[in-house]
Amino acid sequence: MARGSGSSRRPRTETDTPRGTARSRPTAAAPRRRDVRHPGASASSPGLEEPAGREEASVIEPSAGAGQSARPDSAGPRFQIFIIDTGWDSPAHHVLQRNFGLLRDLQKGEPIYVLSRDKSIEFIHRHRALLVGKDPIIAVHDLDALGSTGAARCHGFRLHLGLLRTEEQALLALKAFSRFLSANRQTRDLEAVIRAQLRREGFLGAIEIIMHHEPRAIAG
Amino acid sequence: MPERFSDFVALFMGALAVGYIAWEIERRRRSLHDLWDVLDGEDMAMTTDLVEMVHRGELEPYARATLA
Repeated sequence: MARGSGSSRRPRTETDTPRGTARSRPTAAAPRRRDVRHPGASASSPGLEEPAGREEASVIEPSAGAGQSARPDSAGPRFQIFIIDTGWDSPAHHVLQRNFGLLRDLQKGEPIYVLSRDKSIEFIHRHRALLVGKDPIIAVHDLDALGSTGAARCHGFRLHLGLLRTEEQALLALKAFSRFLSANRQTRDLEAVIRAQLRREGFLGAIEIIMHHEPRAIAG
Repeated sequence: MPERFSDFVALFMGALAVGYIAWEIERRRRSLHDLWDVLDGEDMAMTTDLVEMVHRGELEPYARATLA
């Protein structure tokens, strides 16, 4: 059986043990977004305010109904979110830093793991064939899929923010990501939704690509 | 079969237009696939790596740091 599968791999989010795996990375300041109004806010945090009121253009509009089914709320966290960022001075890095609060606020009990800069470099080096040049990366593991079919089949998705060239594109992608997670937390067949909405496969996907101009703006 | 030259031109332009649309759709789709990558068997090692880092305690949920 593939490693990474099985229900025992679901870590529970415990909020009573202060730890800081992300202390050493620039985004470590992001979760303290609410503290930036304090006089002692760090110099790296002026942009931590979430850009409320910026354009509401959506990249991908997740339909609320598709694939939804009764996944009990008591089933525990659905996703595991990993943020891998080596800290390149890129537009996507800055956007992620400034908007980390958005992710955190929308996680709803789902654990977010932020790899430190060193760990991110090490991790990307280990998987360089797939990841080099694409960070910051947000990887989402679908714990339901990992528990049932293991890692050999579809078990989540990755957003390669580092491929985006401008902050606007990165922000749009991040918003779409958050919206997608929120809308599909209860979705049973996540793979179908991912393929239909995020990758726009099939004939309908082609029509959506024609009808929407966002993919060009997002994907360059 | 088109007989006039203008028919040939129209046919050629139509084919070009269709080809361009198909190419553009494919280009955008490829870009989307690069941006949003589905985790499957190819990514098993990566997934395992991350999960093991969590199990080893190298990674902690970020909320803990927030509450510190």
